[in-house]
Amino acid sequence: MTKGNQSMITRRLKTIGFTLGILLVLPAAAAANPNAGAIIAKAWDYMRGKTSVSVVRMTVHREDWQRTSVIKAWTRGRKTSIFQIVAPKKDKGNGTLKKDRDMWTYNPKINRVVKIPPSMMSQSWMGSDFSNNDLSKADTILMDYTHEITGTTEVNGITVYDITSIPKPDAPVIWGKQALKIREDGVLLEQAFFDEDMEPVKIMTTTDIRMIGGKPFPARWTMRSMEAESDQDYTLLEYESLDFNVPLRDSLFTLNALRKPLR
Amino acid sequence: MELLMAWRNVWRNPRRTILTILAIAFACILLVFMLSLQIGMYEVMINTAVKTRTGHMQVLADGYNQDHKIRKVISDPEAVARILDDTPHITGYTFRANGFALLSSDQRTYGGLITGVDPVSEPRISNIKSIIRKGRFLSPSDTNSAVIGSLLAKRLKIDLGDELVVLGSARDGAIAATVLTVAGIFSSGMDDYDRSAIQIPLAHFQEVFAMEGTVHEAVITCDSLWNVGSAQTAISKAVAGLEQKRRLTCLSWDELTPGLVQSIQMDLGGGLIFYGILLIMVAFSIMNTFLMAVFERTREFGTLMAIGARPGRLTTMLVYESAFLTLCGIGLGIGAGCLLTLWAQHAGIPMGDAEGMLRQYGIPGLIRPKLTLATALAGPAVVFLITMLTALYPAVKVHRIIPVDAMRAA
Repeated sequence: MTKGNQSMITRRLKTIGFTLGILLVLPAAAAANPNAGAIIAKAWDYMRGKTSVSVVRMTVHREDWQRTSVIKAWTRGRKTSIFQIVAPKKDKGNGTLKKDRDMWTYNPKINRVVKIPPSMMSQSWMGSDFSNNDLSKADTILMDYTHEITGTTEVNGITVYDITSIPKPDAPVIWGKQALKIREDGVLLEQAFFDEDMEPVKIMTTTDIRMIGGKPFPARWTMRSMEAESDQDYTLLEYESLDFNVPLRDSLFTLNALRKPLR
Repeated sequence: MELLMAWRNVWRNPRRTILTILAIAFACILLVFMLSLQIGMYEVMINTAVKTRTGHMQVLADGYNQDHKIRKVISDPEAVARILDDTPHITGYTFRANGFALLSSDQRTYGGLITGVDPVSEPRISNIKSIIRKGRFLSPSDTNSAVIGSLLAKRLKIDLGDELVVLGSARDGAIAATVLTVAGIFSSGMDDYDRSAIQIPLAHFQEVFAMEGTVHEAVITCDSLWNVGSAQTAISKAVAGLEQKRRLTCLSWDELTPGLVQSIQMDLGGGLIFYGILLIMVAFSIMNTFLMAVFERTREFGTLMAIGARPGRLTTMLVYESAFLTLCGIGLGIGAGCLLTLWAQHAGIPMGDAEGMLRQYGIPGLIRPKLTLATALAGPAVVFLITMLTALYPAVKVHRIIPVDAMRAA
């Protein structure tokens, strides 16, 4: 009995000491590092807004063919989104719902919703250079990584931060490292994904920054896989329209909504 | 004359002679049996792989074997078929198309390999029909029916008549989706395959995956394993000349399943070391016998030479002696070895606990050695060669005998 109390007291003392230690260290760390984590968080919120509604033209390009589809996407916060293909006709109505780490896909021809199993998360999303993981784990960089600013450059009078993000030791992530280029206003310029040997696997770059949805935003997003057979292999996303902070119903992000053609 | 003397000399010490003969015989028995067993096992391994998956050869788009991209197709299967019809040694061929897709039942979803097969020609090439454990194989009138691996069925918790949803990427980048009905469940014995594979009619596959009449593989069987090489050369040359969008190649079973060839080579390598040790032991025992024979008979040789025998005749006699011993031993060994092997071939050898390991190579629990002329004679032939060589040493040594000294010795 006394033994138990004693150990509990020591534990509590330890916790207090630990908290104090953190409180003492934290300001120092923040001063040494102009808050790389905050820059990334800002960029992610900048991209998504509270909510967003967009129409994106996705072109999967290969050396000998290419295919373009038009996708409408609704996002809310960092974790919830729903996509639906509006063109070409053959794929119209196919949709993907993402909530936290889970993804479901719906096909109107067979009228079924299928939950994507963990084993298929690294597979390509709709035949593109994006994987299911790229979508479902897009926000893990905010929680599962430690960030460091490795350099700053100035482009046209705007500061661009180079940030290197290393996963935390136990984080359930598939990358060994990520390297980002983010403008001070929150526009993401480049995101590179490295494997555990620190070799680049995929690089996403954004270009054509103009006023979209009321703020400067890149209209073209290109994802390239480093393992591709030629430099002709890439997936290009072009924003046709984008609106931020549109009020969205809760019922939009449900399996039921996935089955219906959305506006 | 030399022959008669050799015969008598051999039986001067019957016990030693019989022991030597038995040593040779035992080595031969072991060689015949082990070689037959190994060959039998390899043949089963190769045949299983050939029968369930690869065929003896495949015609593929260049690079498809390294990277199963759905776009790497044979765009004109008809042209390939015409070539195959005209190539000798080919007993049959069939076309297949493959895609990776999400396979989903009411309860579970897994990724799997979906193969479009021709319901008519596929059973002539592969053993799929005979490994159906439940239900039936696809028939030409089927559209959205499927046969599915037993372990996959268990994982998905589906049975005959149940529905199975397929979601994947079509060749044109569109979304490939279909609902299949399970018509049969197969078990090939190769766990990897049974865990992930389903087969559907080729026509339905081509429709769902927007193949537009193209396929991924032409799977070919030959009249014998030994003719694969020549047929492959002929087909390679012919398909390389075809006017197709992608260059085609022809690969043989060993190129298609390099792991299989490596495991055979490894096993054979280990076997050869064992045989080498066995042969060295036999060689020393024979050499011992003959050296003894010469040493203890120095006086006798001296006498023979003193009464006019030339060293050459003595050598001939000694060679006859060793040949007699060796041939007796080998004859006995081949006879007993063949009997043992034939019996094992008939009864089969249960593998007990090793079964699980062997199953991943597609070897059934019962192994049957395979006796062929080669396996029955190759080992004993080497034994004969080596024993004769070792026996030559004392036989030649006889030349150095000087009659007077020899008669005084011992």
